[in-house]
Amino acid sequence: MTVAEAKKLLKKRKQQDEEAPEKPAFEESVALEMLSEDENDADAQSESDDGEVDAFPEIDPRSDSENEESEKSEDDDDELEEDVEEDSDEDSHPDLQIFPKSKTIVSDITGQPKRVYPEIEPDYDSDSSTEDDPNRVGNVPMHWYDDLPHVGYDINGKRVLRPAQGDELDKFLQTVEDPTAWTSAFDKNAQMDKPLSADELDIIRRLQAGENPDGDYDPYEPTVEWFTGKGKEEIMPLSAAPEPKRRWLPSKWEKQKIMKIVRAIRQGRIVGSKPTNADTKSFYPIWNELPSNQEPPLPAPKPRLPTNSESYNPPAEYLPTDVERKQWENTDPENRERDYLPQKYSALRLVPAYDRFIKERFNRQLDLYLAPRIQRTKLNIDPNSLIPKLPSPSSLKPFPNYNSLKFSHVKGRVRCLSVSPDGAWVVSGDEEGMVSVWEVNVGREIKRWKLDGKIGAIEWCPRTDVSFFVVGTEEKLHFFIPPHLTPSIFNLTHSLLAPATLPPATQSPIKWMSSASSTDGSILTLNLPSSSGLPKQLAWHRKGDYLASVSSSESQGGVWIHQMSRRHSQAPFKKIKGAVQLVLFHPTKPHFFVATQRYVRVYNLAEQKLLKTLMPGIKWISSMDVHPSGDHVIVGGYDRKLCWFDLELSDKPYKILRYHTRAIRSLQFHPTYPLFASSSDDGSIQIFHARVYSDLMTDPLIVPLKILRGHDVKEGLGVLQIKWTNKQPWLVSAGADGNVLVWCS
Amino acid sequence: MATHPVIFTTKTPYALPSQKFLIPIQWKRYQLSQLINKALSLPNPIPFDFLVRGSDILRGSLGEWTTANGVGEEDTLEIEYFESILPPQRMSTLPHEDWVSSISSQIPQHLLTASYDGHIRLFDYSQAVVADIPTHAAAITSICSIPPVSSPNSSESDLDSEDRQTFTIASASHDLTARLTKISLPLSSHSQKATFQSLATLHLHTLPLSSITADSTGTHLLTASWDGLVGFWDTQVPDQDDGIPASLLGNGEDASSQPKKKRRVAADITGETKLRRKAPLTVFKSHTNRVSKALFGAENGSGNGKAYSCGFDSTVRTWDVEMGVCVDTITASKKPFLDLALTPDARTALAASTDRTVTIYDLRASSLTTSAGALQHPTTVSCIALPTSAHAPSPSATAKAANLDADPGIANHDATISQNQFVTGAYDGIARVWDLRSMRAAVAVCRVWEGKKKILSVDWARGGAGSGTNGMVSVGGEGGVEIWRVG
Repeated sequence: MTVAEAKKLLKKRKQQDEEAPEKPAFEESVALEMLSEDENDADAQSESDDGEVDAFPEIDPRSDSENEESEKSEDDDDELEEDVEEDSDEDSHPDLQIFPKSKTIVSDITGQPKRVYPEIEPDYDSDSSTEDDPNRVGNVPMHWYDDLPHVGYDINGKRVLRPAQGDELDKFLQTVEDPTAWTSAFDKNAQMDKPLSADELDIIRRLQAGENPDGDYDPYEPTVEWFTGKGKEEIMPLSAAPEPKRRWLPSKWEKQKIMKIVRAIRQGRIVGSKPTNADTKSFYPIWNELPSNQEPPLPAPKPRLPTNSESYNPPAEYLPTDVERKQWENTDPENRERDYLPQKYSALRLVPAYDRFIKERFNRQLDLYLAPRIQRTKLNIDPNSLIPKLPSPSSLKPFPNYNSLKFSHVKGRVRCLSVSPDGAWVVSGDEEGMVSVWEVNVGREIKRWKLDGKIGAIEWCPRTDVSFFVVGTEEKLHFFIPPHLTPSIFNLTHSLLAPATLPPATQSPIKWMSSASSTDGSILTLNLPSSSGLPKQLAWHRKGDYLASVSSSESQGGVWIHQMSRRHSQAPFKKIKGAVQLVLFHPTKPHFFVATQRYVRVYNLAEQKLLKTLMPGIKWISSMDVHPSGDHVIVGGYDRKLCWFDLELSDKPYKILRYHTRAIRSLQFHPTYPLFASSSDDGSIQIFHARVYSDLMTDPLIVPLKILRGHDVKEGLGVLQIKWTNKQPWLVSAGADGNVLVWCS
Repeated sequence: MATHPVIFTTKTPYALPSQKFLIPIQWKRYQLSQLINKALSLPNPIPFDFLVRGSDILRGSLGEWTTANGVGEEDTLEIEYFESILPPQRMSTLPHEDWVSSISSQIPQHLLTASYDGHIRLFDYSQAVVADIPTHAAAITSICSIPPVSSPNSSESDLDSEDRQTFTIASASHDLTARLTKISLPLSSHSQKATFQSLATLHLHTLPLSSITADSTGTHLLTASWDGLVGFWDTQVPDQDDGIPASLLGNGEDASSQPKKKRRVAADITGETKLRRKAPLTVFKSHTNRVSKALFGAENGSGNGKAYSCGFDSTVRTWDVEMGVCVDTITASKKPFLDLALTPDARTALAASTDRTVTIYDLRASSLTTSAGALQHPTTVSCIALPTSAHAPSPSATAKAANLDADPGIANHDATISQNQFVTGAYDGIARVWDLRSMRAAVAVCRVWEGKKKILSVDWARGGAGSGTNGMVSVGGEGGVEIWRVG
């Protein structure tokens, strides 16, 4: 190959010779381009006189030089191409040609000259590189094989046997006999003489003669005049001219050119090409970690550090006794206190390999893999701070907190009671038909009436100028006048209930029957429709003229409104969905609350339409009361829930209290104090502070105050009805155990 | 043995020489009492109670008291002693068919009870019913006996017949009226029956009455009612019916059956004499709610010419009787008052309220001052009574009473039951005797009717004639009447 390389060098030099004359032409072409640019500039200058110079686009002044560089690189490419061409031209030395020789022939098809190479025969001889040296021992000193019969190994591992070598006489004879013997040299690798080629001999001759070993080297080449000689003189090769202005000034012509384009774009003559969807190609650094907003994964827990007892030479107190050892061996591995036995070795090198290493690694891997670690965001909140700030009950006094006295109905359970408007008397009715009027403060019965059948409901008329109360029994309403009235009140009451001249009779299925004579019995009796059952609730309008009664029958005739002044009864609803449980009059507006099993509907009686439906989410409503302001309603259910509704707010409960353990039986707001109470079948009464603010922004404040226990639960029934006294924070409760208790503050 | 320096003082006649004693600190009341008895070498042992530093009655040992109150060992304790109240003993029971709403022991040797069945009953100390007077058709809520008027006129009327002792009794009822009834008792023997006569009805109130009281001179009455009015009446029985508004009388309803019955009953009671109707002299109007008690201040001291009332509107009001105006108001916070009592010097008012306390008010201070203290009870306190002596007997009354007055035992007894003690009755059936100087717990306790029935009224009479030196607490209520010996 050294020969071939030398040839190549020589070739290069020749190429450079031939290139040299082409150079000036190249420069001319560059100058030409510049010229053309100048021309363009001149054109633009003529056009830019219209004064549009304001929006001058910034142009990098280095752009010119960059262009030049790129041109240069193009020039280089051109040179390479020319090289190739020249290669094809040189085929004057056939001996030194390594590569297959090419012939230039005129193509039959195109008529152009083309190069044709000889066919390559793909056998082993076609490529000398595949011709292997049989001895493959490599570059090892061959004297290693001096004593061996072979000189190496071939590619298959077979020995290459040493060729036969004659003794000195044979060599001598050979030199005598063979004329080429003196031109052969010893080939170490083959351990035999190989004849030298003519080239090698020529190199040897040249070296002997002290000449350049390269045969092609011409020490007397003619001088190449690169920059001298005829026509190549550079008169002033270095210029002292100052740098032209255009080197640093923004190009005027470029500006004009760009302004032309800008104008065209503005006039719409040039429309920008639509953005290709090349933008969708998003490039992303595949090696960079994407910024993640997730928490970094938790570091795995660190394995436990070894302790003293795990030492190879633990203190003697750590070493187990025989008993302990036996015990350790007898326990199951999962029950062992620790999974090893301390052992003592006199030296560290005596410690054997750790036998549970694999198992421990495996267990740890299992642990890491089977117990994924989550970062729990632990709320660092004081649980006490979550409890709403409620005022203490002692600051909300007065409220009933002790049982002052007890009034007992001997026989039946007391289902209903009512407190007189002045708060002095209580009337209570039991299931045996006994109605008792007694003093709130002393608990002394002053009058009793015996009716037949259960007492379903009792309500005292809220009027203060008359005094009477209504008792509901089976299909009847009885009106009674309590004793100890001033004559004026008694006369007014009497004339109201049993007037001397009856008002004109009205069409109603309900008969009003007054008995003026009997003072011991009821003075007025209303016969409700037959099969209407026991009236389970009575509700007075606050003015005391209207009385609503709810009967227990499921039929349509459940709700009646009775007007005292006209002695007239009417059914307000022709048809009503569901069984009516309770009714109530709104304290200030002509509204009427009707509670069915699930819903509370609010009707406007004046306009006779449904205003809204409250959905307490209670399965069976048992009790209901309206706040004295009329804006809030509490509803209790047999499923222990107590719902507070803000009528201005929503149809859904503002608050749901579930403090009772059994069904809620009765609820009532105190008429003047901010209190309400709920009673339940669990025998307890709960007192709540319920302050309602007049501004609509503040939520009602509900504070549980007191649980009053005193009633016994009898046959699953607890406190059946509770009533507040009007002017004092006292509560009267009637229980299924037949007792009526008064709770005082 | 650790000792403590102590100085004993007393207001009783059993005074020790004033010197410092070193008392072992583990001594209790019993040892101290024995010490005094032995030091004075009294013939009959008298139990004493000990009031340490004028504030606490000694209940445990002296050492316990000093540690509890943080008194150093060197400090000298001043201990006042007085004759202790013996554990009360039940003397007798007077069964009633109905609840007893009011009880009075102001008539000497007799006990006056008012019941819910409308009857006034008079018992003597042999537990015999002297008189059973069906006065009202409705329940009687309060009763008092009017002290005999010392004017010669009335004394003459009292002396209408020899051998007879007459009293006037005022009763207030649920039937909106109060009544004056005159009872005359045979003095000497029980062969003669007691006679009674209804004198007048008092018409003012439109709601049931809650109390009626007379002043000490027997000339005026005060009624309190649920309608918030306090009526001020004189005790004169008018010759003519006073002008009563028709709305109070109900002239139209006489035809109905109930008043007719009542009228018939009244006619039975009154016999031939006509029942006069009285109108009040003055009406005190300031209470906004039920008035539960109204009473006169004592005629001596600052209480003269004053009346006091308490009500459900949480106020205790002081009235100028002459002017008929409220001169002072003590406003408590949410304490509907049930009963009121005044100490004899009219300096302190005791008011029982429904919040289970008896509150002590100083009447001398302005109305802005808060209460001086409160006595906690487990249940509602219904009534308060201070020890009172019976009315000074009328001139015609027994010489025996006069002899009793002269008896030194009585005088001793007056010292025993000091002004600082009173009794309260509560709904848990326990009458408690309190000492104003030690307000933590009751001094003595009377458990009436096994503690199951309500006490509605108590009265405390100083030394009754027949019972030696002992005071007598009579308790009326749901179970009738019980009489206890206290002190």
